[in-house]
Amino acid sequence: MAEPIANASPMLVLQDVSKSFGGLRAVSGLTLQVERGELRCLIGPNGAGKSTVFKLIMGFERPTSGSITFDGAGIDKWPTWRRARQGLSIKMQIPGIYPELSVRDNMRVAAQYHVRAGEMDAAIERLLTRVGLAGMSSELAKNLSHGEQQWLEIGMALSVNPKLLLLDEPTAGMGPGETEATARIVENLNADGVTIIVIEHDMAFVRRIARKVTVMNLGRLYAEGTIAEIEGNQGVTDIYLGKTS
Amino acid sequence: MALLTAENTAFMIFVIFMLIYPSTTDEFDLLNTAYFMAITLMALSLAMIWGKAGILSFGQTAFFGIGGYLYGIFTLNVLGSGATWLGMLVGVLVGGVVAAVLGYFMFYGGVNDVFVGLTTLALTLVLQTFMAQTAGPEWSVGEARLNGYNGMYVPQISIGDLPLYGKPLYFLYFGLLIGVYLVLRWLAGSRWGYGLLALQENRPRTETFGYNVRLMQVQVFCLAGSVAALSGVLYASWGSYIDPSSMGLTAAITPVIYVAIGGRRSLTAAMISSMILLKLSQSLASSAPEYALVIFGLLALLAVLFVPEGFVAALFNLLDRWLFRRPDENARGSPGAPARSGEVSQHG
Amino acid sequence: MSDGVFNALYQFQVSFAFLLLSAIGLAVIFGMMGVINLAHGEFMMLGAYITTIAATNGVPLGVAVLIAALGVAIFGAIVEILVVRRLYGRLLDSVAATWAVGLILSQGMLILTGPSMQGVSSPFGSFSVGPTSYSWYRVALGIVAVVLLALLYLLFMNTRFGLRARATIQNPSIARALGVNTAAMYTLTFALGSGLAGLAGGLFAPTTTIVPFFGTNYIVEAFVTVIVGGANALVGTPVAAALLGTINAFLGTNFGLYIGRVGLLLTTIIIIRVLPDGISGLLDRWRMRPDTTRSGR
Repeated sequence: MAEPIANASPMLVLQDVSKSFGGLRAVSGLTLQVERGELRCLIGPNGAGKSTVFKLIMGFERPTSGSITFDGAGIDKWPTWRRARQGLSIKMQIPGIYPELSVRDNMRVAAQYHVRAGEMDAAIERLLTRVGLAGMSSELAKNLSHGEQQWLEIGMALSVNPKLLLLDEPTAGMGPGETEATARIVENLNADGVTIIVIEHDMAFVRRIARKVTVMNLGRLYAEGTIAEIEGNQGVTDIYLGKTS
Repeated sequence: MALLTAENTAFMIFVIFMLIYPSTTDEFDLLNTAYFMAITLMALSLAMIWGKAGILSFGQTAFFGIGGYLYGIFTLNVLGSGATWLGMLVGVLVGGVVAAVLGYFMFYGGVNDVFVGLTTLALTLVLQTFMAQTAGPEWSVGEARLNGYNGMYVPQISIGDLPLYGKPLYFLYFGLLIGVYLVLRWLAGSRWGYGLLALQENRPRTETFGYNVRLMQVQVFCLAGSVAALSGVLYASWGSYIDPSSMGLTAAITPVIYVAIGGRRSLTAAMISSMILLKLSQSLASSAPEYALVIFGLLALLAVLFVPEGFVAALFNLLDRWLFRRPDENARGSPGAPARSGEVSQHG
Repeated sequence: MSDGVFNALYQFQVSFAFLLLSAIGLAVIFGMMGVINLAHGEFMMLGAYITTIAATNGVPLGVAVLIAALGVAIFGAIVEILVVRRLYGRLLDSVAATWAVGLILSQGMLILTGPSMQGVSSPFGSFSVGPTSYSWYRVALGIVAVVLLALLYLLFMNTRFGLRARATIQNPSIARALGVNTAAMYTLTFALGSGLAGLAGGLFAPTTTIVPFFGTNYIVEAFVTVIVGGANALVGTPVAAALLGTINAFLGTNFGLYIGRVGLLLTTIIIIRVLPDGISGLLDRWRMRPDTTRSGR
């Protein structure tokens, strides 16, 4: 297990964050800290609030209370685009590619403000190779297979040179071969120094890549620990089976 | 980005034709063509905002009217050589400022999609309704009486005391048209332009790539509003006249019709189609004016239903594939993949 | 009751009736499909023309109006099948397309029948309160508006069609899974909305000149009412009509017709910005307000 880099500030801190939608408390008093260079998995049953946490980090929603600190800066009031320019990147559950644009143009849209014009072609090639799409730059994005579209999106999320990458169910709809390829991509990224938080339901995938795991339930932090500790925790199994409140 | 495309070729042919045209015809016809060019700026304005940014605005005629009326108000009050040129600037600037304010109000207020259309339509109608009841003498700005439906008579663009006419007017309007076209084309191919294409498809996603989406929407809205205002200025100074009907519902839909038929995603297609359709509609106007609009309306409907990129733009695409086969970069695509190029950079 | 008060009430009632009748067809379509039918004014115009032609040829006015409603409803169904149906995922394009349809209709009518047609006069005559005379017909319009609203309420709340319609509005995919033919539902709704537009046009025909641009007198009011009212045609539209009727009557009486219209338009712009879901949205939010008895998640 990789030791957290012995650097002063953590990459991301959620301090006592809550989010309510009308009468519904989606996230409740959540405190979460992710160190630089970590590869963290965020799991929990459906409705636990995991996707909401990502929306709060990315700025699609504002917390009802609590604070969020990214790379030492308090980002609560920042608009999404500003957080993106500071190094936050996300790949969401719903497809986030541009179906009517080519693979190359998709990458270009993502990379434009982070890569100089002269280096654009080379950078795009590099990223496409990294996510396994080398040679497909002229394809229209809507013509790609589901797995290829997911990789394209990871490539786009990467092209902004993120410090922190949020992946929401990256293996959804993938077969075992594609899932394994995705796991390799994620690990390589992390080895290069990108801090990554992954929301996942595929426990095999989680086991494959996870170092530290955070479990949420009903909007709250339920448990945190290594994959071994979490799997040994009967309470975690129970909440997935809906036994406890 | 390849330069030899059907679109660019058509543009070159258009420019050459328009440069040669004055030596083949009389002054009256040149004046007429200048009018077409003034209105075609409206088509460019709409192509920019609808085709490049996905914002359907029914309010471009409002800026057209603002441009024309502000030109008139300024030039009726401020006399002296050069005043008409300054008036042009004033018309465009005020149009741009109003567009920026309205854009801020809408896009930073979360108004999008259909509601932008409705808000801009409402604004156009507000202005038209308001101007319609300004016939009385109390409605004047300095020396300029607004005059309601009686219309405002405005000075023509002049050098010194001489109003521009014939060839000089033609080339001035042509120069402005081509100048605006080139600027818009350049912007559409820039990073900013790419960002507009992206936000047209998916606004929240585009924001996650670092684009300040709402600011960009206001920017393109302001730009399109300024172009529409310039169109109004050129129209008013061409005919020496402006009245509220230029801000009415029929006036609002006409550029939409032209751009829908010709091509909303291609500035070149929009420009050329607009010139052709205006000429056509004028030919029909002498024999049967109502038919023009019915035919164009039908064509526009067919375009929206079956050829949404526009007939002329679709033609450009077709010609590109048959005649100007571009080498595919990274031709080693996945097996069985169709050799379609999705490059958007080709179409300005 | 003093003359002034009666006058104000009358003006309000007339505004309310015109707004409600103009808007209800548009609202039904918008509420069900999210489509803004920019040909709405022209559908009203068709209704006016059919009514006038029928009435001029001896058909009693009431029957003529109903014929018009039916005729425009059928026409609307055709438009839905040919045009709107192809543009379900492309809302902006459906707006542009319906606008083109409207243009074709008004210009086409201009070609077919010329710039105007001989109209029919409004029946029932007038009555006086104090120095002012009022039209019975306009009072009748108010009654028709209320009765129509009640009928629509019955239709949507008490019939099988209405149940299926409400299911489709709430959640089309689930409705389909439950066996509702949503495509037919959309066509029928569009036809209903068109028929209501034709009905309104027919009812208004005796009050004004019959010209191909008949609809332009009312579409502004119709759009404003639908936007302020929101997607719930049964509740939002009448409340909006009442609210806007007051504003319009007040401004119109004191500052003239033009300023009245400007006031309505400015209200629309503000409402779009501040309350995009209209009054229906307010209602929804009030119903979903935080409830302390709900167990916290």
